[in-house]
Amino acid sequence: MPAIQLSRRQLLRAAAATGGAALLAGCGGSPEDAGPASGTSLAYWDWYVSQAPWVDNEIKLFQQANGKTTVKKTTQVTDKYLDLLALAFRSGTAPDVFLLPTKPKLEVHVGEGWLMPLDRWATAEWRSRFPDNSFVEGVNIFGGKVYSAPFSGLAPALQLYLHNGVFKEAGLTNPDGTVQIPKTWDDITRAAETITSKSGGKVFGLGFGNAQKGALPWLIELFCRGAGSPGGTQNVDYRTGRWTYGTDRNYADFLALLLDWKNRGFIYPNSMSISDEQARAFFSKGRFGMIVGGVWNQAPWEEAGFKDYSLMTLPSPTGTPQGYFYGSPGSYLLGISAKAKNPDQAWAWLDWFYGPAAGKRWVQGGYGLSVYPENNDPAGVTSPTFRQYVAMAGTALVGPVPAIRNPEIAKVEVAAVQPDLPDVAAGIYTGQLKDAPKALKELEDRLNGALSEAVAKARGQGLKVGMDDYVFADWDIAKPYTTKRG
Amino acid sequence: MTDVRLAARPRALSTGTVSGLWRRIAAARWSYLYVLPMLVLLLAFVIYPIIASLGYTFYRWDGIGEPGDFVGLANFSRVMTDGIFWGALRNTFFYVLLVVPIQLVLALALALVLNNRRLRLRTFYRTLFFLPVVTSAAVVGVVVQLLFSNFGDVVNDVLMSLGLTHEYIDWLGDPNFAMIIIIGVGIWHTLGYNLVYFLAGLQTIPDELYEAARLDGAGAFACFRHITVPLLRSVGVVIVLLSVIGSFQVFDLVQVLTNGGPYFATEVVNSYIYHLAFGGFSGSSVDRDVGLASAASFFYGLLLIVFAVVQALFLRALVRRRGGRA
Repeated sequence: MPAIQLSRRQLLRAAAATGGAALLAGCGGSPEDAGPASGTSLAYWDWYVSQAPWVDNEIKLFQQANGKTTVKKTTQVTDKYLDLLALAFRSGTAPDVFLLPTKPKLEVHVGEGWLMPLDRWATAEWRSRFPDNSFVEGVNIFGGKVYSAPFSGLAPALQLYLHNGVFKEAGLTNPDGTVQIPKTWDDITRAAETITSKSGGKVFGLGFGNAQKGALPWLIELFCRGAGSPGGTQNVDYRTGRWTYGTDRNYADFLALLLDWKNRGFIYPNSMSISDEQARAFFSKGRFGMIVGGVWNQAPWEEAGFKDYSLMTLPSPTGTPQGYFYGSPGSYLLGISAKAKNPDQAWAWLDWFYGPAAGKRWVQGGYGLSVYPENNDPAGVTSPTFRQYVAMAGTALVGPVPAIRNPEIAKVEVAAVQPDLPDVAAGIYTGQLKDAPKALKELEDRLNGALSEAVAKARGQGLKVGMDDYVFADWDIAKPYTTKRG
Repeated sequence: MTDVRLAARPRALSTGTVSGLWRRIAAARWSYLYVLPMLVLLLAFVIYPIIASLGYTFYRWDGIGEPGDFVGLANFSRVMTDGIFWGALRNTFFYVLLVVPIQLVLALALALVLNNRRLRLRTFYRTLFFLPVVTSAAVVGVVVQLLFSNFGDVVNDVLMSLGLTHEYIDWLGDPNFAMIIIIGVGIWHTLGYNLVYFLAGLQTIPDELYEAARLDGAGAFACFRHITVPLLRSVGVVIVLLSVIGSFQVFDLVQVLTNGGPYFATEVVNSYIYHLAFGGFSGSSVDRDVGLASAASFFYGLLLIVFAVVQALFLRALVRRRGGRA
């Protein structure tokens, strides 16, 4: 075959012709790519990665049901979501419908004028399909206007996952061959010790990925809630209205136990430097036997073909949880931009997203619990591990909500402190902070000081708030709590 | 340059309407035209943000909407009394003090070897050592992080089998090792720059000087000490300056490899400022405060200016003393 020879000029002509053709093609577009002739295109933003199959399916079903409306999804990186959204609003390119950032509080976004009130569509009839107290002033209602709605049902935020293969290899099985599920702190210590010693140090009892600084607080949250510290790592103890990291000995006790596990070689050594994603992958490969995480772990594991695990939640010193996960009756997830060009279509997509049918598919897909209790029937779930999770719904209770009793408390902006719990926990774990109880007490004082300062500042601005707004002295942490309106 | 001036002068004088300054600008208009795009970019993306962020230093502002919570000089006060800032500054200086001398010595040694005309494949080696420079620090960081997380156990096993350690080391999660790893990667990553600068400097030294010295009986070390070092001094000062400036800007490696942890053990000032301004996933422990971050930037800038002035005075005094001795 003779070689094709081109002069430099011929080559340049050919390149120009090809480039020009490509440019024209790019400008023209293909008929297949064109949207509906007179259709509406909605920009939708989220940070859902492992939940993406559900979102994509809902978009497909929505578009089939709403002929001329197209939803263009953009999934943004989680830790930059707020920055990207703020830039989009500044530059006039905000999405029509978007997942609401968890920080700062929704009230801030409402104050910035980002959100459209939903009242003209979210009628009393629409709201009635949600459980009681789903719409709360100071949570998803501001100035009497609705801006969002709850999506998920109350559920345990964290679980302890057990690798069945590793447990079986270590002989941690019941007579019927099932793995022994540890319930107490001592059970977990024994399991970790057995796994590590039986494997000759090749497999570790426990692992986590703290590169993003979130995994150590998860461990503290799970174990200390189980031991009866109702604030966990998220809130003050509403019985006293104070942070209790230093005065509640559960925190120091658990960190001492964690250090003991580390010093005895039970914990995967790279846990401080690997990410949670890496830790999850290593767990699925059996490098360690236990990991703390949320239900979001399950879908990626199952997609990767890893199903040989069990789960439990709220391990405690005694085997019976002394505290639980507490949620608010009202919450928020999705909102519509105040600048949305086609608000009716944007609402249609939001309504579809929040629909009971979509919620049912959410549960069936193993992504979490639905706000509609009828969707959360373990019998309707095919995955045995997700069924275990659904059956744990009772470990999440409604807790006190200061904003229900005094809506003005939602306007108090408490400054974060530094070092905060993720930092202090890391410092204690690595030995940089030698005196754990002292470090925890200093953290408690910093947090309580920041809270007092914020309340004092709010009072100075004319808000009718006080430290008593955070106190619910009659709260029995073992039972659901109904906050009386103020 | 002289030719341009001479050519431009009669034309400018003939019009008789332009000022002296304008005449000079017009004479060198092509030079200005070439500089213009860079100047515009500099003004838009360096000068303007610096000036704009000065205003933010007086506000507590989370970066959303417009700043409204005026706090005066409180942000500067917070930065100056923040132990984490001073810890980050200490880490930054530690990084600079280790990276700059080690890297310069290595770069000079490599440059001397690669400048040897008898060395075969020296162009290949030069390319090889320069390659890390053209790789993004973020990519390097991700790869190194993956290497340690996936193969850190292997390194530990080797060290334990040799009896050098008795327990597993979390290389990037241990406060005793994380900074050393970052420094090592930092040295490797930008070594190529200094290598190229030194090579350029070495190639300006005439061979005749070495030949004459050898005829006078000078050995390799004497040639290095009495010819190479003195003639590289002016280039060396620039290389040191660039290396110090580059090292003070360390950020991406820290951000990707350790995110400043564990417990601020590798937090440098730039990552500290970033965490103040943007929080990040660890943002649960950091309030987003662009005002405070801006104040920290300006305060850090002031400290660096003071440092640079002290360094310049020290160098000047050194030169004077040497001049006096001579």
